[in-house]
Amino acid sequence: MDPRIALKTFIETELLGGASGAELGYAEDLLLSGLVNSLGIMRLVSFTEQRFGLQIPPEDVIIDHFQTIDALARYVEARSA
Amino acid sequence: MHYLLHHALDNAALRFPEHDAMRFGSSRLTYAELSQRSNQLAQLLHDQGIGHRDRVGVFLDKCLETPLAIYGIMKAGAAYVPLDPRSPVSRLVSIIRDCGLKGIVSQDNKAGVLRDVAAEQDILEFVVGVSAGLSDRVRSLSWSALDGFTGTSAPVVPVIDQDLAYVMYTSGSTGAPKGIMHTHFSGLSYARMSAATYDVGHADLLSNHSPLHFDMSTFDYLTGPLCGATTIIIPEAFTLFPANLAQLIEAERMTIWYSVPFALIQLLLRGAIEQRDHSALRWVLYGGEPFALNHLRALMERWPHARFSNVYGPAEVNQCTYYHIPPASEWSSDMQSVPLGVVWDNAEGLILDANDRPAAPGELGELVVRTPTMMRGYWARPELNQRAFFRRELFPDYVDTFYRTGDLVRVGENGLLEFFGRMDHQVKVRGYRVELAEIDAVLTSHPAVEEGATYVVTSTEGDRIDAAVSLRHGQRVEAAELLAYVKARVAQYAVPQRLRFVEAFPRTGTGKIDRKALQQKEW
Repeated sequence: MDPRIALKTFIETELLGGASGAELGYAEDLLLSGLVNSLGIMRLVSFTEQRFGLQIPPEDVIIDHFQTIDALARYVEARSA
Repeated sequence: MHYLLHHALDNAALRFPEHDAMRFGSSRLTYAELSQRSNQLAQLLHDQGIGHRDRVGVFLDKCLETPLAIYGIMKAGAAYVPLDPRSPVSRLVSIIRDCGLKGIVSQDNKAGVLRDVAAEQDILEFVVGVSAGLSDRVRSLSWSALDGFTGTSAPVVPVIDQDLAYVMYTSGSTGAPKGIMHTHFSGLSYARMSAATYDVGHADLLSNHSPLHFDMSTFDYLTGPLCGATTIIIPEAFTLFPANLAQLIEAERMTIWYSVPFALIQLLLRGAIEQRDHSALRWVLYGGEPFALNHLRALMERWPHARFSNVYGPAEVNQCTYYHIPPASEWSSDMQSVPLGVVWDNAEGLILDANDRPAAPGELGELVVRTPTMMRGYWARPELNQRAFFRRELFPDYVDTFYRTGDLVRVGENGLLEFFGRMDHQVKVRGYRVELAEIDAVLTSHPAVEEGATYVVTSTEGDRIDAAVSLRHGQRVEAAELLAYVKARVAQYAVPQRLRFVEAFPRTGTGKIDRKALQQKEW
């Protein structure tokens, strides 16, 4: 299954609390507008680890992998391959 | 003679014209460029009617335009007023009105928010840095408008060092933010004293981790230029990713780090710093809140070449004490927390009891401080200014003015000041200063809410604020709706993470809501 769906649902409902109203795009920059804060990143890391059965080492928690849902999905797929 | 903050910048431009003053990503501003560009901005602001004693907002994400804005504004004779780029519109509007801002320096990606601000009645005259139109009453000028000015010199304005240099807004307990007024004298005194305490020189590379509206940024933007040092402006996204931050510290060979403990703990736990070369770091300064000893010890072991210092001082006095922390091997076994240390040079500290008399040696009391780095007062808050200071009259009509920190301290047996908490409901959450009473007031202003109270929950992911609310009889409202209501009115870092409904609040003996009981309750 496309990992983007689960990631998008988690970010929208858990991190943004459904408060933003607008729908999140897969290519939308999560960091630029302060959409996701530092606690949010940590929760996103633990969710991604649990949902996809991964261990994400600290050196992989970087902007390149978390800037967009697309980027995180690519990382998940590369790790799962 | 230099007696204004921008004199210090222009002096650095004479001494080190080609030296980098500021870096941001792959871009940089040398001292000559920063001096000349800030002259251009000052000329533009002058052209827009800004002069002596005006206030101008700075509404920017972290970027190279930030130092340009603050020095351009000061050179125009005005005071800069940092505006949190994450603030909801209503909070921006209340600060703009409270401080009477005529103009704001900003950037294109803020056009949407600024349009909402400009839609208000009788607000602002102009915005610099935005190309798009905002409203028919508020002029907008793009950054390229600077090119129309020579920048060979700044406008001549008769500013003296007692005039305002910047006004920083912070959480106020009544629900309205309050502006801490600093003059060129207090700002430059802080820059000089911090430079001397940490021996800052032009070869230093400073970490600008704090956003501009956070008072720790004055070290990066004022002390740095005083010394001709280079300040590395750290992009917001890097502050969310410790591994990127660790890489940046290495790549830029930063020599002085300054942030809240939270950022350092993140670096320690998630920055993979054992894989990095941080040998250039010579000072690690932290402030804003206490540092958990286990994490501090671990970080000091990772960076044995760096000296660590606990910086303490409310934004009202910039800084007033320091403690250079000895190696962990020299810590006494009964140490509970890092001491605040000693009051720094050119400052006098007193510890007062409940009757404003000096506390007995070793007794707990409120720390009050007299120092040239002290604020002038809160902007347009006469009642607050009455209460904010302790006035000591040693001789007839000879009065010394001390700022009341509201912090409870005592002098330990080792002669060092120790911190014991607050006298009011001000808290620090990941270093940000928040008045819980402000959030309570906002919650209670919702028509469905009978009473609301907020409290701090500590966790390994960093502290957070939670809220408990009781509803008026017969009223119903969702937690998400109440949280959205608060979010639209307070700073982003003050928004509760979780909200719970209660039938009745736990009370103290005097009938007040018992925050401690809320904090300890198993929900």
